[in-house]
Amino acid sequence: MNELILFEKFFWFGFAALGFGILFNAPPRTLFAIWLGGAIGGILKIILLYYNKDAIVLASFTGAIAVGIISIPIAHYRHVPPMIFAIPSVIPLIPGVFAYRTTLGFIKLTGAIGADYNTILAETMNNGLKTLFILMSLAVGVAIPMHVMRKESAKNIRLIKK
Amino acid sequence: MESSNTTEVKDLGSLLLDVGIMLLSSGASCSRIRLTITRIASAFNYHCYTTIGPKSVSLTLNQDDDNSLFNGMRSINQQGVNLKLISGISRLSWDVVIKNLSIPEIKNELNRLSALPHYPRLIILFLVSLSGASFCYLFGGNAIEMLITFGATFIGLFVRQEAIKKKFNQYFCVYFGALAASLFAGAFIKAGLPIDLEHAFATCVLFLIPGVPLINSFTDLIDGNIQNGMVRGINGLMIAFSIALGLVTAMHIYNFK
Repeated sequence: MNELILFEKFFWFGFAALGFGILFNAPPRTLFAIWLGGAIGGILKIILLYYNKDAIVLASFTGAIAVGIISIPIAHYRHVPPMIFAIPSVIPLIPGVFAYRTTLGFIKLTGAIGADYNTILAETMNNGLKTLFILMSLAVGVAIPMHVMRKESAKNIRLIKK
Repeated sequence: MESSNTTEVKDLGSLLLDVGIMLLSSGASCSRIRLTITRIASAFNYHCYTTIGPKSVSLTLNQDDDNSLFNGMRSINQQGVNLKLISGISRLSWDVVIKNLSIPEIKNELNRLSALPHYPRLIILFLVSLSGASFCYLFGGNAIEMLITFGATFIGLFVRQEAIKKKFNQYFCVYFGALAASLFAGAFIKAGLPIDLEHAFATCVLFLIPGVPLINSFTDLIDGNIQNGMVRGINGLMIAFSIALGLVTAMHIYNFK
């Protein structure tokens, strides 16, 4: 894998997350963390996809879990709830292209039944399910670290035992 | 003694309803709303029972002997996302526990938090457009496609903000935004530039994606707030549908296949 391209992608994943941080009015003290979290989650997905091209759902899930895990120390350090940081950071993982292809597929399916109808149906189903499962895995992945810790607030999680 | 206690519980009750409504309207998940309200109530030694609807919060405050002291409900009509408010209220609830803030102090702090400004409009437009361009790069776009996506996102977000200002229905706002963005991106393709339709078209509407409703929907479902989770999920789907409708309109206008 080309390291330079990987670094470039790291950079741009961060900006994709940062834009949403600004759009959702995240506090200024969390913006750098959002940039970094988006970049780390995204790059993890790219690396996993490099090793297994078909495992897009699993790769997105891993990226989201990474963001969820990072969000706990950030929540301590910056005194914000973990979701403030986690939601903008996982947005770059959202399957925009799959959602777009699903929409187009649905529109094509409303047309006349031609020879390639079955192919379009199969592709649309495939893209739609990918979109659905990636979205679910993002939401679950972000929430998992908090649930594993079995604490309702990140403030009760002690990172270093006293 | 009796009367001062009733005023305190009334003040606290309406304060907690304010907190709940502010959190709900700025996109917090149900468990967070319940957690924050309960945290503040228990700092004043009250038991608090809450019901959180899709657009309303109601609560009952009890003392140790289980006598109901306050019942109240409040509802909202406008929902947006404001992470600054959520983090501010979360901080405030810890201050209540640790520093024993009084009710007027909490009220002042809430007023200050709700008056906090958003980022300047130009910065929002610029950075969200930059994030649109990043998406375009990540999906395999080149520099020209990134520039087009930047412009399309800028115009789409501007149109959406104006539509929100004119108080259109929220799904209409999304539709107008998607339509403006995809019309702008499509114009370049129609003009004959060698651009991949998928890169420019699919990424110029990504700033509208309902990320917060969808993620909150699953968070609520996992926590067992099934009703709220379903409502938020359907809200997210409606927004996604509005985006698709905007795209389709533009594609039919330009006659793309």
